[in-house]
Amino acid sequence: MRMLHLLKIDLKKLTSYRTFWIICGLYFFTLIAGAASGMEFLKWLARTIEGFGQEININRIPLYHFPDIWQNLAWGGGFLKIGLAVMTVISITNEFTYRTVRQNIIDGMSREEFLISKVLTNFLLSLLSMVAVFLIAAVAGLIYSPQLEWPYSFQGIGFYPAYLLEVFAFLSFALMLGVFIQRSGLTIIILLNSYLIELIIKENINDYLPGIIPYFPLESIMNLVPLPFARYAFQEIRDYVTISSIAIALIWTFLFNYFSYLKLKHSDI
Amino acid sequence: MLGPNGSGKTTTLGMLMGVVNPTAGSYSWFGEPPTHQVRKKIGAVLEHPIFYPYLSGQKNLELMAMIKQAPAENIPRVLQMVELTDRRHDKYKNYSLGMKQRLAIASALLNDPTILILDEPTNGLDPMGIAEIREIIKRIAKAGKTIILASHLLDEVQKVCTHFAVLKKGTLMHVGPVDEVGKGEEWVEVNAFHDDLGVHLQEFVGSAQVKREAQHFLVMMKDGFHSQDLNHFLFEKGIVATHLSTNKKSLEKQFLEILSESAPAVTKR
Repeated sequence: MRMLHLLKIDLKKLTSYRTFWIICGLYFFTLIAGAASGMEFLKWLARTIEGFGQEININRIPLYHFPDIWQNLAWGGGFLKIGLAVMTVISITNEFTYRTVRQNIIDGMSREEFLISKVLTNFLLSLLSMVAVFLIAAVAGLIYSPQLEWPYSFQGIGFYPAYLLEVFAFLSFALMLGVFIQRSGLTIIILLNSYLIELIIKENINDYLPGIIPYFPLESIMNLVPLPFARYAFQEIRDYVTISSIAIALIWTFLFNYFSYLKLKHSDI
Repeated sequence: MLGPNGSGKTTTLGMLMGVVNPTAGSYSWFGEPPTHQVRKKIGAVLEHPIFYPYLSGQKNLELMAMIKQAPAENIPRVLQMVELTDRRHDKYKNYSLGMKQRLAIASALLNDPTILILDEPTNGLDPMGIAEIREIIKRIAKAGKTIILASHLLDEVQKVCTHFAVLKKGTLMHVGPVDEVGKGEEWVEVNAFHDDLGVHLQEFVGSAQVKREAQHFLVMMKDGFHSQDLNHFLFEKGIVATHLSTNKKSLEKQFLEILSESAPAVTKR
């Protein structure tokens, strides 16, 4: 009840904000349209580009067949989460630039409640992303799959909770950056560069301590739904969710939000 | 609450409202330890009005009512009180400064609070805006609410307040009722079309001291003598006063005295 109230407060701030509708509209449009039309796009490529169909026969590659489609779309959808993260950054940094976080607390929200209201919105957006991709995958799978076999067709459905965590973890990361940096432009730049920064660090320690690579924050988020396409080149891929990848990403998600909490609690607003 | 700029008025109020973390000391509201729940019973505007610029006045108040858990039915009443009903659907960013201040007072009144905290509510307003805000404050005070007013408009404080405290560099210099300010010395301004007015005023038994000012004479009265005695005396001398006015010691004077008295103690290293 209390949680729902906090979520409603944050949604009240956003639903009359045009930028919110534009960013979320673009995000969900790209996500849904991209996932739904992927097969048709490939067919169009095969028709228009000469030789495309000879080298890779797209009708032979079961991209949109059950059960491959589950992992393929969850992996592809993960790319777009940066768009949602931009919305999270704008939502939190606005509170600092307009100083409305200060007024919210004067009006009787605790700092904890303020943060929870933002985290809940993040979770709602992650959940909507998961549901959108899941529905597209289910419908497209039914259309393109030659046959339906229980339970074979549903192998890989476990990637959907993992995809939910992937988006939520990344939004938590974006929220934390926003809480610490407080300015939208700078936060977005650092958010976009964070993959690069992590890559540089990983490359530098790869020779000495390769064992700790999976424990890096962004790496752990990417590991939730691994790249599926290598299987079409007859390579071994991980087509299931591992407990360790979930555990590492969950711990990071908790830490991101906990760091936000500590920062909010101890600073003068 | 009086004090020069930078004396710690807003910081003090910020600590009481939970946005500034105190480094030492404690406080309580209504005899209870301070929690965010208690803040919902207090209406406070610190420094300048803070609202979401892209929301209308109405929507901003709806949001605040959710945070304060105040009934939304109060919104039309508080809008009426500050005369913003006609402009309630305009975006906040299009409001004039006076309207912003009025909306801030409306929001502070949303939960029908027992205590209202106003921090320089007339700051930056034109004379008409100041008059409007002052009217509103008087109306609220008549309704039986406690108002904590931080201001450097001493005249205003003297007219509106019953008690005052003086802060300087974060130290409480003085606290007491406003009534006591006037006790003690009584000065009377006198003027008349008479060349030797000054000489005659010196002769008056009740005058302790006579000062010549640009527009008039200032007579300091001895104990037990008042302006009517002086008027009576002049009339007997055949002098008709064109101006006669009693000046109690003003809050401004006392304020400056309090601040200067302590100056050495504070500058000492």
